[in-house]
Amino acid sequence: MAARGAGYAVIRTPLHTPLCALLLVCTIAATSACVTSTVDEMVFNEPLEGIGDSSVVILGRRHASDYETEPDFIECVGDHIAARDKSIRVIGELEFINALYPWFEPRTAPLYPKDIERLLQQEPVALKMAALKTEYMIWIDGATIRGDSAGSMTCAIGPGGGGCFGFGTWSDDADYEATIWDFTDQAEVGHISTSAHGQSYMPAVVIPIPIIAPVQGTACDGIGEQLLEFLSSEY
Amino acid sequence: MSRSMISGPDQSYLRRVFTALVLLLALVGCGPAQVTVKGNFPPPLMEPLPLSIGVWYDDDFTNHEFFDEAKSKTESSWLVKTGEAQVQMWNTLLAGMFDNVVHMKGNPGPGQMNQAVDAVLIPHVDELQYALPAHTNIKVYEIWMRYRFELVTNGGEPIANWTMSAYGKTPTAFLQSDEAAVNLAAVMALRDAGANFATNFTRVPGVHSWLQQKWQPAAQAMP
Repeated sequence: MAARGAGYAVIRTPLHTPLCALLLVCTIAATSACVTSTVDEMVFNEPLEGIGDSSVVILGRRHASDYETEPDFIECVGDHIAARDKSIRVIGELEFINALYPWFEPRTAPLYPKDIERLLQQEPVALKMAALKTEYMIWIDGATIRGDSAGSMTCAIGPGGGGCFGFGTWSDDADYEATIWDFTDQAEVGHISTSAHGQSYMPAVVIPIPIIAPVQGTACDGIGEQLLEFLSSEY
Repeated sequence: MSRSMISGPDQSYLRRVFTALVLLLALVGCGPAQVTVKGNFPPPLMEPLPLSIGVWYDDDFTNHEFFDEAKSKTESSWLVKTGEAQVQMWNTLLAGMFDNVVHMKGNPGPGQMNQAVDAVLIPHVDELQYALPAHTNIKVYEIWMRYRFELVTNGGEPIANWTMSAYGKTPTAFLQSDEAAVNLAAVMALRDAGANFATNFTRVPGVHSWLQQKWQPAAQAMP
C-alpha cells in the first residue's frame, strides 16, 4: 500500500507492524532482565605489594550433600583475576586437585586452616606445595539455584514451516562465599560474600527470544573484583 | 512435436527411503542406554607403605557392569560398565600406595602357587546404585558404590575383611548427554573410592593390627 502526502511516497510493507511489535517486546524484556547483586568483604593482612611469584589456587567446596559449587564458576573467578592482572598466577582447580590427589577430594579436603599443618606432615604433599609456590588458597562455597518459573511455550512444525509461541520466565539466585587462606601463615585472612538475583524471560513469537539474566556471571564478577583488590598491587 | 522429459527420482522410491529412515530413528531409541566408564585417575601423592602387596581381581570385578531395567515407559534402562575403569583406577592407586604391587596368577588359596608377597588384596563390588534427582531438566546423576575388601595371606588365610562406600555426583549439570553425565558421576565415585581407601587403609582395625604385628615384632622380641 502506498500513501502520498507533501510530495513524499511512503511504502509500508506487510511485515512492518509485526516487526515493530517484536522490537518493542524485545526492548521491554531487555531492560527488564537485570540482575541485582550485593558484595560484602572483610579482609586483613592484604599483600600490599602483590603476591610476587607466588601462586593462588581457587577451589570449590563440594562436601555438602544438597549442593556443590559449580566448577565453571570457579573457572570464571580464576579467569577474571588472571585476565586483569597477568602477574597473578592462578592454578587451575582440576590441575591442583589432580596434583594433590587424594588430599583435596570432596571427602578429604581440609575444612579449616589448622588442617593445613596435618596435611603438610606428609612429606610428598609439602614438597609439592613448595614446588607450586601456593601462597593463597581461596575456597568458594555456594551455588546458583533456579527459583520460581512460570509460563508456557508451544512449538510446532508442519509442511509450511514451524515456530514457537508463548512466554516463559524464571528467577535465579546466586549466593557465594569466598574464604581466603594464607597458606604460609596457615590462617584465614579474608572473607568475601556475594549474592545476586535476576529474572530471565523467554518470549516466543515464531522464534524463542531468550533474555537471560547473567546472575552467575554477575556473582563471578563481584567476587573476582574483590579478590583482585586483595591480591593485586595494581588495584 | 517432440518432448524431452527429465524425470526426477521415483516418488515411491523416495517414500520407501523416508519410511526406512523413520523406522531406523525409532529403533535407535530402543534398547538400554549404555555407558562404558572412562576417565583419568591420578596417582596418589603419598609416601608409599613399605609393603609388597599382591592384588587379585576376579572376573566379576574386571567385568563389572550394572544393569537397571526401566520401571516405566517414560524411563530408560541403563547398562553401566565399570570394570575397565575400576581396574585402571585401582592399579594406579595401589601402585602409588605400596612399595611393590604384584598381580597374582590366581585366587589365593591352598595349593595355588602365587608370587611371594606380604599380603594379597582382593576387592569386590558389592553394590552399585544410581539416582536421577527430581529436576529432570538437569542432567545430574549420583552413583553410590559399596566395596568389600579381603586382605589375605599368600595361602588365602584371612587377615582383614571390611566394606567401604564411595559416592560420586555429576559435577556440571548442563550441556551434557545422559551418558556423559553418568560417566562423570561414575568417575567421581571411583576417585572417591580411591581417596577413601588411600586415607583410611591403615586405620582399618584388622589391617592396623596386622601392620603392628608385622612392623613391631623385632621390638617386642628384644629383652
